[in-house]
Amino acid sequence: MVCAIFLYTISYAQTISGEVLNEHNEPIAGATVRLLNSNKATSTNDNGLFTIAAQQGDTLVFSFMGYENVTQVVTGGTMQVKMTINASNVLSDVVVVGYGVQKKVNLIGSVATIDAKAIENRPVSTLSSALSGTSSGVSVRQTSGQPGSDGATIRIRGTGTLNNNDALVIIDGVQGTMDAVNPNDVESISVLKDAAASAIYGSLAANGVILITTKKGTTDKITVSYTGLASVAKPANMPRFVSDYITHMKLINEGYNNLGQTPVYTQTTMDLWAAANANPNGLTDQGIPNSVAYPNTDWGKEIFENNIVQRHNVSLNGGINKTQFLLSAGYLDNPGTMVNTGSNKYDFRVNLQSRVAKFLTVGTQTFGSLQNYGKASTANAFNYLSQTNPGLYPMYNGVYGFPSAAEENVQANNIFRYLNGTGGANDESRISTTVFGIVDITKGLQFETRFNYQNRAQEINTHSNTYELWDFASNVQRVGPVSPDQLTTRYEFNKNYFYSIDNVLRYTTTLAEKHDISALLGYNQYYYNYYDFNATKQGLIDESITTLGSATNLISAGGDEYDYAMRSYFGRINYAYNNRYLFEGVFRYDGSSRFASQRRWGLFPSFSAGWRISEEDFMQDVDFVTNLKLRGSWGKTGNNGTANYDYQAVYGTTNYSFNALAATGLISTKFANPDLQWETTTTTNVGLDGNLLHNKLNFEIDLYHKFTNGILYTPDIPLTVGTAAAATQNIAEVTNKGVELTLGYSGMVGTLNYAFSGNFAYNFNRITKYKGALQQGYIRDAEGNEVYTSNLGNVSNGTTTRILEDHEINEFYLYNVYKGNGGYFNADGTVDINGGPKGGMIRTPDDMAWLEAMIAAGYIFQPSGGVDKTKIWYGDLIYADRNGDGIYGNTYDQYFTNKSATPRYNYGFNLNLSYRNIDFSMLWAGSAGMWYYWNATGYNNPIVQLGYGVNHIVADDHYYYNDANPGDPANNINGHYPRLKNTTDAQNAITSDFYLYNASYLKLKNIQIGYTLPQHISQKAAMSRVRLYLSGENIFTITKYPGLDPEIGAGIGYPTMRQFALGLNITF
Amino acid sequence: MLFMALTAMTACKKSLLDTVPYSAVASETMWTTDNLTDKGVSGVYAALRLGVEQTYGSGVELYQMDRYGFTGQARESEPLMTGTITASNDNFSLTWRYLYEGIQRANDAIYNIPLKSPSSEEKKARYIAECKFLRAYFYLRLNQVFKGVPIYLEPFDAAETTQQRATEEEVWNQIIADLTASIDESNLPDRYAGGDAQYGHITKGAAYALRGKAYLYLEKWDLAAADFSHVKEAGYSLFADYKTLFKTANEQCPEMIFSIQNIDIDGFGSTTQFFCGSRSSFGSCWNNYLVSPNLVDLYENTDGSKFNWEDVLPEWSTLTVAQREVYFLRDNLTADEIAAATGRGAKMDLYLPTGNEARILKAYTNRDPRLADNVITPYSTYLGAFNSADAVVTMRWPFRSEAAENGDLRTDTQNYFYYLYRKFVYEGISETIDRSYGPTDFPIIRYADVLLMWAEALNEQGLTDDAIAKVNEVRFRAGVAPLNSNGATAVSGKEDLRERIRNERRVEFPNEGINFYDELRWKSWKDKVFYSGNGVKQIWGNVVYAYSFQGDYIYNWAIPQVEIERTPIEQNSGWIN
Repeated sequence: MVCAIFLYTISYAQTISGEVLNEHNEPIAGATVRLLNSNKATSTNDNGLFTIAAQQGDTLVFSFMGYENVTQVVTGGTMQVKMTINASNVLSDVVVVGYGVQKKVNLIGSVATIDAKAIENRPVSTLSSALSGTSSGVSVRQTSGQPGSDGATIRIRGTGTLNNNDALVIIDGVQGTMDAVNPNDVESISVLKDAAASAIYGSLAANGVILITTKKGTTDKITVSYTGLASVAKPANMPRFVSDYITHMKLINEGYNNLGQTPVYTQTTMDLWAAANANPNGLTDQGIPNSVAYPNTDWGKEIFENNIVQRHNVSLNGGINKTQFLLSAGYLDNPGTMVNTGSNKYDFRVNLQSRVAKFLTVGTQTFGSLQNYGKASTANAFNYLSQTNPGLYPMYNGVYGFPSAAEENVQANNIFRYLNGTGGANDESRISTTVFGIVDITKGLQFETRFNYQNRAQEINTHSNTYELWDFASNVQRVGPVSPDQLTTRYEFNKNYFYSIDNVLRYTTTLAEKHDISALLGYNQYYYNYYDFNATKQGLIDESITTLGSATNLISAGGDEYDYAMRSYFGRINYAYNNRYLFEGVFRYDGSSRFASQRRWGLFPSFSAGWRISEEDFMQDVDFVTNLKLRGSWGKTGNNGTANYDYQAVYGTTNYSFNALAATGLISTKFANPDLQWETTTTTNVGLDGNLLHNKLNFEIDLYHKFTNGILYTPDIPLTVGTAAAATQNIAEVTNKGVELTLGYSGMVGTLNYAFSGNFAYNFNRITKYKGALQQGYIRDAEGNEVYTSNLGNVSNGTTTRILEDHEINEFYLYNVYKGNGGYFNADGTVDINGGPKGGMIRTPDDMAWLEAMIAAGYIFQPSGGVDKTKIWYGDLIYADRNGDGIYGNTYDQYFTNKSATPRYNYGFNLNLSYRNIDFSMLWAGSAGMWYYWNATGYNNPIVQLGYGVNHIVADDHYYYNDANPGDPANNINGHYPRLKNTTDAQNAITSDFYLYNASYLKLKNIQIGYTLPQHISQKAAMSRVRLYLSGENIFTITKYPGLDPEIGAGIGYPTMRQFALGLNITF
Repeated sequence: MLFMALTAMTACKKSLLDTVPYSAVASETMWTTDNLTDKGVSGVYAALRLGVEQTYGSGVELYQMDRYGFTGQARESEPLMTGTITASNDNFSLTWRYLYEGIQRANDAIYNIPLKSPSSEEKKARYIAECKFLRAYFYLRLNQVFKGVPIYLEPFDAAETTQQRATEEEVWNQIIADLTASIDESNLPDRYAGGDAQYGHITKGAAYALRGKAYLYLEKWDLAAADFSHVKEAGYSLFADYKTLFKTANEQCPEMIFSIQNIDIDGFGSTTQFFCGSRSSFGSCWNNYLVSPNLVDLYENTDGSKFNWEDVLPEWSTLTVAQREVYFLRDNLTADEIAAATGRGAKMDLYLPTGNEARILKAYTNRDPRLADNVITPYSTYLGAFNSADAVVTMRWPFRSEAAENGDLRTDTQNYFYYLYRKFVYEGISETIDRSYGPTDFPIIRYADVLLMWAEALNEQGLTDDAIAKVNEVRFRAGVAPLNSNGATAVSGKEDLRERIRNERRVEFPNEGINFYDELRWKSWKDKVFYSGNGVKQIWGNVVYAYSFQGDYIYNWAIPQVEIERTPIEQNSGWIN
C-alpha cells in the first residue's frame, strides 16, 4: 500500500501536465483528474497523460475505479502520479451492523456485505431478486415472474425451523419490507448470519438479519443523477403443448384406446382439419380463414407476450453547510409477459440530516411508494392453461373462440378470455417515515432516538368483464354476454400499520492507547396492526358501472383485524486489545404479546472473540499476508413465529340458520397452550478471514452449527378430537450444519483490470427431535396373525412431504417404483421374486409373463390390483413392496427418500473486467442438491383428457404399443413416461418417486457491458459522468429439471422474465 | 426532547403486550351469557353442515353418499366402488373427523351449559335435550358405517384421546340413552309449526323418529314401531305433492321432521344444485353426482306393474348394450353423427330419423310420477338457464348446442349420456342467487321415511296389513297404484312385502342420503350394487367404470388409517394397508 508521488520539475506554468501510472509503472488510461473545490476536471489519455489548468498550491484529486484516490498539491508544471489498487477497504472499510457500524477488520460476527455496485444497473424490478449469487450462505429464489409478486424468497443458512423462516429486514435501523425499497437508493446491504452478529435483534433474528442502508447526502457537493433503462422482456421459458390439433386428437384417442374405450375423436373431424391445414388461407362458407375456423393454437405461446420494461430514477444528492440530503424519485413500468398482469410503481425518498447544534443532529428517512397490479387472476391460469387444447382459437374480430370440433369438450378454456375476464383496479400504497435525533452528550457518549411509522394500504376492485364465445367453424355465437343483473362487483380494503421506537445510548473510549472499549444500551418497542374489509354485490346497471352503491344485491361482506406487540431491552460491549484481541458480548431481553404474561420474556445473549493474527509481531515479516483474522462466536436468538393469539383459547364464528334467518354459531376453533414460549436458536460459528498477496486475494471461511429447540409447531392430532386446530407447541428441534466460503481475486493485466469472486455454501438440516422415532414392522395380533403396524401418523406430520425425527425437514415420502433385476424365472421354473423390469415399467411380454406369474404366486400389485387394460397393462409402472407383505405398492410401501426441495448447496460467481472506458461483468447463481416432486395432469403425467392439452414432455416420450399393428412407426416401448390413459390413471399417477426430479440448476443471472464516456466529452455537456450499458438478465439456465424453471419451484407458475436492457446513467 | 418525551409516554403503556383477538370470544367467557349460550348451541347445530364445501364436492355430504348406493352413481371412478379403496382414503377420515367434531361441540354444550350459563332453567334444559339429540345423531352416523367407535361424553383434547372402541351395540345403547333423555325432557316441544322462530331446533318428534331408527338397527321392531307412532302423534304428516315437497316454499311443511337449515347466504346454503345440476342449471353447475339407470328401471308403471324395456322396445333384450344406444339418439342426425354413433357400436339400422325421440319417450311415460320428479330423462325438458335468463332445455343425445330457446341440456360429460337429478336442482334463475349456496333446507328425516321404517318394523313383526297401509300412504301421495290394488301390486307375504318396502324406499328417497345406509343395514349392498356387470353406467347400460366388490369386510368402513396410528383403537378386520 505504498503510494508514491514523484515530482520531476517545479514550474509556475498555468497548465499542469503529468502522467498517471499503476504500481507496475504502466500508464492508467481514463483516470479522472479533478481540481479540488472547482468543476474543473479531465481524464488521462491512452498513454496515461493529462493536462489541466491549475496553479501552484492547488490540490488535484486523482481517481480511477478500483484504485485508491490520490490527493496531491500542485507544486510544479508536470507531475507523475502513482496509483495503487484500492486496498483501503481492508483496513478502513466499515460494515453496518445492528445499531451501529464496525470496522470490517474488527468484525467478529459472520456478516456478508453486498455493495450497491452488485445490484445497480440490473433490470430486476425488486431488490430481493437482485441478491441471488451475491453472497455465501444466502439463498435467493425468485418464485414468480409476475410483476408485483416477483420478490425473492431469501433463506439465510438454510431452513432452521418448521414455521416462519424469513429473515428480519432492517431498513436504516427499523423493521421493514425489503421490496419496498427502491434498489437505486441502496448504499449497502449487510447480512448478519451468526448469533454474534444478529443477537442484538434477539427474538427476531433466528433466521438471520438483512440490514439495508440507503444513500445519505454527501458533504459540500450537489449532484443530480439520472439512471434509466429499458428492457425487452420475454418469458424465460414457456410450457410446450402439442399444437397440431390432429396430433392432439390422436394422442387423446390413444388414451381411450389404451383403456379399451371407444376413441372420442372421429376420423371425420381429423379429415376436416387435414383439409383446412392444407389450405390455411382459404375461407369457410362464412368467410372466415380456415386457420381460424380450424385452429392449431399453441396456447403455451399464445398467452405470453414480449414487452418493454422501463425504469427511471432521478436523485438529488448533496450537502450545504451542516445539512446533507438525498432526494430521489423512481418510476417502474413492468407490463410482465402475460396480458393484464402488469404493474407500475412510483416511489420517492427523502433522507435528510442536519447538525442543528454542536451536540445535536436531527433528521429523517422517509420513503413511500404507490404500486398498481394487473387484474388478471393468475392463481388458476396455469391450471386452466392445461384445461384447453389447440382446437380453440384465441380471438378473432374482437370475440373469443369456442371449440370448433363437434366432439370437443365445450368447457375447454379459452385462457386468453380468462386473463382478460377480470376488470377493476388494485392499488397498494406504502409510506415509511423515521425521525431521529442524535445527541452528543460528552466525548464518546452519544444518545440516539428514532421513531418510525409505516403504513401500507391496498384497495382492490374486482368485477367481471362480459364476453362472447364464437364457434368460428360455423360462425355461431355459442356463449353470449352475461346480463348486467348477473354481474358482480367487489371492493376490498386492507391495511397494516406499525410503529417502533428505539432509544440507544453509545459510549466509546480508548484507554492507555491499547484498550478500545465501546458499549451500547438500548430500548425498543413495536406495535403492529392489520385490518381488512370487503363487500360484494350483484346486479349492475351496466358493465361499466361498478360502484357498490349502484349494484343491487349484497352477496357478502366481511372483515377482520389482528395485532401484536413487542418490547425489548438490549446491550452490547466491545473490547479490543491493541487491535489484536477482540471481544464482544451482546444481550437482548424481549417481551412478546404472542405469549402469556408469565412466559412472555426471553433473554438472548451472545459472546464472540477474534484474533487478528496478522497484527502479531511474528507476522510482521510475512509479506504476503495483509490481514488474517480468526473468529469464534456463540449465541442465542429467538423466534416467535406463531399466530398472534395462540396461547389463548378462543371461540370463533360459524354459520347456521333457524327459521330461514341466519344465526351465528360459536365454536371452539383452536386449542390453547398457555405455556407457549420462544423457540431458541443457538449458533456456534468459527471463521477465518484473510487478505493475501497484497490484497489481490481475499477469502472468508465460516463453519457453523445452528441448533433450534422449542420449535413452535402445530402437530397433527387425532381426528377424533374434531376440526378445531391443534394446540401450537414448543415441540421440535432442528439442527443445521454448514460451511461457507467466499473467495475473491483481483488484479490487472496491462490496462485490463479484473476481479473475480465466488461464493459457496453447504447447509444440511436434520429434525433432531419431534414426536419420537418411527416404529413400524410386524407384530403378532391377538389372533396370532402377523400384522404390519406403524406409528407414522403419530410421530410424523404431512403427506408426500413429512416432518419426522431424524430426517430432513419436509423430506419426500413416496411410493418407490419397482426395480427388478431384469431376470424373470428361477432355474426350477418358479418366478424370481427379485426379477422383473429394471425400470419398474411393464414393457415386454417377458415383463408381463413375470408379473402374471407373480400374481399367480399370490403377490398383489396395487393400486390397480390386476392385469388388464383398465388395471395394469403394457406401459404401466409397478411399485416396490418395501415392507415385504407380498402386496406391492400399498400404504406402508411408501418410504423416506432422504431428499427434499431444500437445496444443500448454493453458489455464485461474479466476474468484473474493465478496460479503459469499457467495463464488463457477469453474475452466475446456482443451487444444487434439491429435488422436486412434480406430478401434474396436463403437464407431466400420462393422463389425457378430452378438452385438456397434451404437453410435449409426455407427448414426445411415452410408452406406446399398437397391439393391432406391431409395425406402427409410432410404437415406442422404450418411452420414459407410462402409457396414456383417459381421465384417470390409478396405477401411474400415484405419488411415487417416478415424479421426483433433480432440480439442481445454474443460472447466468446477469451479464453487463458498459461504456463510460471520456470526461472531456461528457463535460462539454456539463455532465460529470455518463455511462451507457447493455445488461442481460436471466440469460439461461443449466438444469435437468423438465419443468418451467427450477427457481420458481415445482410445477408451473408465472415464468421469470428474460430481459435485454439498454441503460443510461448520468451524473451532473 | 420531544422524542424522549414521546418514548417515555408510550413506554409506560402497560397494556402494550396484552393483545386479544378481534374476531373471536375468549374461552373463559364462553357460555357465560344468555346470548353466548344461544350462539354456542347454534354452533352445535352447525356441525350438521360439516362436510359442506362450496367450491367442490367434498364427497362426504349426505346426498353425495347416494353414489355408493343403489340409486345413484358418481361421474368419476370411486375407489370404494371399483375395489381399490384403502384405509387411508379421505372419505373415511373426513367422515370420522366431522362427526366427532359434532360430538365435541355437543359435549361442550352439555358439559358447560349447566356450569356456566345464566339462561333460564327451561331453556337450559331444552338446549341440553337438543344437544343430546345431536350427539346421538352424530354417533348414529358413525355407527352406521364404522360399527363400534370410541365413546366420549365430555369435552376432550388430543392427550385425552385414549378410549378404545366400544362395541356396535354399546354405541347403539348410548344413542338410545341420549335420545331417551331428550324425549323425557318436558321442555322439548313435540313439533314447531312452520314460521316458528325456533324452527329448525330439535323436537320430540325428531327424537322419537331417530330413536325408532336406532331400534331398527337393533331389530327391536316393537320399540321402533312404538316410537314411529309417537312421531305421528306429535303432529307430523305427509305433504300433498311429492314434486314441490323439495322446494323452498315447503321446507317447513309438516312432513319435515328434522332438516339441515339452509339459506341463500354465502356459507349458509346448500350445494345440491351445484354438484347435481348441469351446465344448463342456474349459474352453470356440475353434474358430479348422477342417477343410476338401475333406479330409473326400478320405477314401476303407474299401475304398479314392473317396468320392462321389452314392453316398449321389443328387440331390447336381443341387442348388446352398445347397440342399444340407437334408441336414445335424437331425430335428424347428421351424417357425421351417424358415423360417430356407428363407430360407438349403435345398431343404426334401428334408427328412425324422425321418430326416434317419440319412440324412446314412450319408455318414460305412464311411469311412477316420482321418476319424472326425481330424474331428468331423455327428451324431457328442464327449466334451466342460458345467458343468465330462464331457458327451457331438452336433454338430447348427442349434445349439439345450448340456446335461449329449444336448446340442448348441457353437462360436463357431453360425450356420455347420463340420467341427471331433478330433485334439489333449482329451476330457472330465480330460485337461488348463487349456485354455491341454495336456500332449501335438506331433510334428514321426513315423515315418508318414518312411514316406511314403520312399515318395515310392522312387517318384521308379521303385521303385514298394517305395514301395507303405511306403504300405501306413501304410494297414494306419489300417484302410483297402491299395494294390493291389482294383480301387479298384490303382496304375496312377508318376504315379498320386505322387498317391496325396500324398493319403495329406493324410489322415494333418491338424492336424500338415505339409500346407501339402507343397503348397508339390509346387507343388500353386495347383491344390489356389486352384481356382475354393474358400474357407473350410461342410460342404455354401457359401463363407464366397472364396480368390483373388494370383500365382505367393506360393509364396515375402515377406521381412518391415521387414527389407528395415533390412538389405541383397532382396525375393522379385513382392511390392510
